[in-house]
Amino acid sequence: MSGENFLFSVFAILTCVSALAVVLSQTVVRMAFWLVISLGSTAALFFLANADFVGAAQLLIYVGGTLVLLVFGVMLTASGPYMKIGTSAGETVVAGLLGLLFLFVVFACIGGVEWRKPVTGSADNIATGAVGNTLRPLGLSFLGVRPDADLANGKPPEASGYLLPFEIVSVHLLVVLIGASYLARAKRRAAPVGQ
Amino acid sequence: MVGETLRNLLMIAWLLPLVGFAVEIFGGFWGSRQSRAAAWIAVGCIATGFVCSFSALMIWGNANHWSVMHKAEHGASHESHDGHQGEKGHEEHAPAGHEAPAEKHGSVSSESQYKLTALAAEEANTAHAAGPTVYSGTLYYLARFGSLDLSLDYYIDSLTLVMFTMVTFIATCIHLFAMGYMSEELTEEYVDHHAHLSNGHHVHRPGRFYRFFAFLSLFCFSMLGLVLAGNIFQVFIFWELVGICSFLLIGFYTERKSASNAANKAFIMNRVGDFGFLIGLMVLWTFFGTFRFGETVNDKGEVVQAGLFQLLQRDDTGNVIRDVETGEVSVGAADAAMNPGNARKTIPYFLLVVAGLGVFAGCVGKSAQFPLQTWLPDAMEGPTPVSALVHSATMVAAGVYLVGRFYPMFVQEVLLTIAYVGCITLFMAATIAIVATDIKKVLAYSTISQLGYMMLGLGVFGWGAGLFHLVTHAFFKSLMFLCSGSVIYGCHHEQEMPKMGGLWRKMPITAFTMLVGVIAISGLAIPGLISLSSVFAFSGFFSKDAVVATSLAFVKANPSHFLLFLMPLLTAGITAFYMFRLWFYTFAGKPRDMHVYDHCHESPLIMTVPLLVLSVLAAFCAVGGEQGPLFLLITGDQPSHVSHGVAAVAGASTLTLPGHDAVHAVHAEAGTYALIAAASGTLIAWLLYGTTMVNVAEMKRQLSGLHGFLVNKWHFDELYDALFMKPAHIIGKFCTWIDRTIFDGIIHGSAKVMIAVSKWDRLFDESVVDGFVNLLGSSTFAVGRSLRVVQTGRLRQYVMFIVVGVVALFAILFTTFPG
Amino acid sequence: MAAGLNAYLLVGAVLFVCGVICMATKRNGIGVLMGVELVLNGANVNFVAFSRYTDLGLDGQIFSLFVIVLAAAEAAVALAIALNFYNNHLTIDVDRANKLKG
Repeated sequence: MSGENFLFSVFAILTCVSALAVVLSQTVVRMAFWLVISLGSTAALFFLANADFVGAAQLLIYVGGTLVLLVFGVMLTASGPYMKIGTSAGETVVAGLLGLLFLFVVFACIGGVEWRKPVTGSADNIATGAVGNTLRPLGLSFLGVRPDADLANGKPPEASGYLLPFEIVSVHLLVVLIGASYLARAKRRAAPVGQ
Repeated sequence: MVGETLRNLLMIAWLLPLVGFAVEIFGGFWGSRQSRAAAWIAVGCIATGFVCSFSALMIWGNANHWSVMHKAEHGASHESHDGHQGEKGHEEHAPAGHEAPAEKHGSVSSESQYKLTALAAEEANTAHAAGPTVYSGTLYYLARFGSLDLSLDYYIDSLTLVMFTMVTFIATCIHLFAMGYMSEELTEEYVDHHAHLSNGHHVHRPGRFYRFFAFLSLFCFSMLGLVLAGNIFQVFIFWELVGICSFLLIGFYTERKSASNAANKAFIMNRVGDFGFLIGLMVLWTFFGTFRFGETVNDKGEVVQAGLFQLLQRDDTGNVIRDVETGEVSVGAADAAMNPGNARKTIPYFLLVVAGLGVFAGCVGKSAQFPLQTWLPDAMEGPTPVSALVHSATMVAAGVYLVGRFYPMFVQEVLLTIAYVGCITLFMAATIAIVATDIKKVLAYSTISQLGYMMLGLGVFGWGAGLFHLVTHAFFKSLMFLCSGSVIYGCHHEQEMPKMGGLWRKMPITAFTMLVGVIAISGLAIPGLISLSSVFAFSGFFSKDAVVATSLAFVKANPSHFLLFLMPLLTAGITAFYMFRLWFYTFAGKPRDMHVYDHCHESPLIMTVPLLVLSVLAAFCAVGGEQGPLFLLITGDQPSHVSHGVAAVAGASTLTLPGHDAVHAVHAEAGTYALIAAASGTLIAWLLYGTTMVNVAEMKRQLSGLHGFLVNKWHFDELYDALFMKPAHIIGKFCTWIDRTIFDGIIHGSAKVMIAVSKWDRLFDESVVDGFVNLLGSSTFAVGRSLRVVQTGRLRQYVMFIVVGVVALFAILFTTFPG
Repeated sequence: MAAGLNAYLLVGAVLFVCGVICMATKRNGIGVLMGVELVLNGANVNFVAFSRYTDLGLDGQIFSLFVIVLAAAEAAVALAIALNFYNNHLTIDVDRANKLKG
């Protein structure tokens, strides 16, 4: 077992286990903790898959941003520390069985599909995402240039860049932030609803 | 230009009454019911018309230097000519009347020169004599359909002018008379004693003085338009207009049932004749392509199209030119010569006969000839001036006038028909007049009889004779009608002669003038007073003598038609008999009804003056007989083939039509016969009614069968009732039955079927269509209601459902495509 | 030979299923939100794996970047909604949000 495989196994297990822990945790704060572990190990898996920029983004945005947001949410909505909103046992069992069934289905699908031939990273195949150091190609592709596709051998462009989706996502983020601040702004509290 | 002057004068005379009509009908409607303004307007219009007409006659005569008079200069006595002009002029035109003969004598030396210039100056119309005497042209274009021009034309010849003068003069007299006669209508509330309401009361209504004169003016306009008309279609238009005037005037007392019935009857009877007229028009248009009498001349004076009279060519014998092989009559030789490109047109001979008979059928209706004569006696329901003007003097004469005007188009067969129709009519009407007791009915039947004389005269080729009688009859019959009107007015609307008698003491002027009329119509004369060959007589003698002489000449040429002479001869006696019977009954003897006698009075001056004027004319208008000025004026433009007669031609017609010479040969003989007949009729009348020698009532009883037959007017009304009314009623009932049973049955049946179908349709709609839609709706609703359970509103369950769905999908996928 | 495509995919699958179960079982709204994050992460793992092991190239990574951005946006909005919900109901229990049930 090579080092890469070893690391992959460690982080894969860590990811799966902590994800499972999220499911099984009863309090939302623990769930948040386990989620951090899970997302962080996922970022490690990204690094292992030579997607260095994606991994970094995962760490920055998810672990650094989204999860902070979630923790804020927990804090704002928690009626008390370690609040538990229990689920009925039957429901849990049914969900668990269904989850297993679904997992089986997904596994069956993964196993049943003949994927494209895997490529191996090599010097003459620089265009693929298989090799690391993806920061520059990613940045260029967001600017509408695809060095990995059309600059390779002077052929006409086969794949287009992502300038337009990039712009759309930027505007989308802005809209979402405005919308979120609108939704979450302080309002006069409505009449409390009896529990 | 003489033609234009004539045209303008006659147009004024023609259109003035129309203006008068418009003014009267509107002015009267808004004006007072007691105003005589309408009457003065009407009199003014028609009197001006008379002045214009008479001036036109004078101008026309001067333009051709009275050439028509010269033709018979050898026979015409100078005195009578001058006298005639004086008479005519003594109304308003004494200077003009004397001027004319003076100029005639003064210009004799340069006559030939005048003739030449006149010919060059005027349109190239057919000139019989020295100068052009016929003027024709177009007044106004109405419409143009293809090659058919509908226009208002004028056709002015001597006949037109004489008719204009006659009509306007008589109309003036009658207008004046009517001002007196109709004065009872000058009230806001007129009580009609002859019209009853359903509750037995008399009808009260506003007076209609203005309306009467408006209708009279409209009638004058129509009649003058008819006379002036330059094409046969225009004649038809005004023909209908006088018909409607007649309708309006007969039904003037519209509240009276008898009056409105009579108006309807007159109108419908005329329609029957007009139907034939229309057929004749169609034939003429189809084969001749024009309605005009005279030639159509364009602006440059070139003849564009020949008129009807030019299109029908006659050869030297007076027969129409016929194709040797086909027997068809050629149309428009002159036309063909002018346009060589045109093929020669022909018309089958029998269609020419049909056209002639068709036009004559219209005349039969308008002139109340057999078999359409029954409307005229009923038309006496109108006021008496109307009877005088419309139903004796002018309108009914329009039929005779048209026969005369259209004479060139009639072939022998048509003329024979005309003669026989006239012959039957004159005899039949005269016999009915014997027994009539209503004073106006007697005159009405005598009118029919005299119209029959005119038709007979025209039919036996006496063109001049028939129209001569037309003019003289107009004078003395209008006179007699006005006299009867005076009697009726004086006797407070008593019309039954048996209630009169001895009236001459009360109304001497009326009695005297009536006697003049009676003598005139009876044809009495004193032979040999002036010279051996001449007689002193009133107008009726000369004209009737002309008719009888022509018919004698005709019978001598065609012995098989002897009735055409015997009947008028016999009827001449009957005429004298019933006319003198009327006079004796009314004016002579002792009063039979003292009530009527006591209240009787002479009419006012405005009524008696026209009587006197007319009586002078009735007596002397025909002075000189057939050498006199009136006859010569009338015949001045007679159709060219008339004077020579028409010889029988093998293969064409077996009739020989007498020329002037033939007529002249038998003139004295015929005159003698006629005079004997008239004298004997007068004598019998005097014996029966003037003396008490014979008991009339006893005779009536003995001849009750004949009397009843005559009183019932030969049962013509019953005959028409049985022939036309009853079948019409039966057919009507039959049609009603068909309608009620068959058509109504079909309609009701289909309605029932429709109801059944719609009921079934409703069932179908409500059960099937609605059921389907409702089922769809309710099933959707049920599905929605059942699916509502799924919508739990619980977020997490939805996630579960998604998962279950995905798993299920894949499960299906795997089981369906294993491997 | 590296870990291989299938290994990554298995990890993604586990993450995905865990997220789904998390969504299905957690009554806490924030918990549901976390489940969503897990699901998105599972998808991301798959994208990156395809980018690494097939000729998809950079597209996979770019997609996963978009997903991350979208997830962040979604988290922001969802959190706002959760806060609103909490303001209105004084609880974060999603089972109480059943106004729309049929």
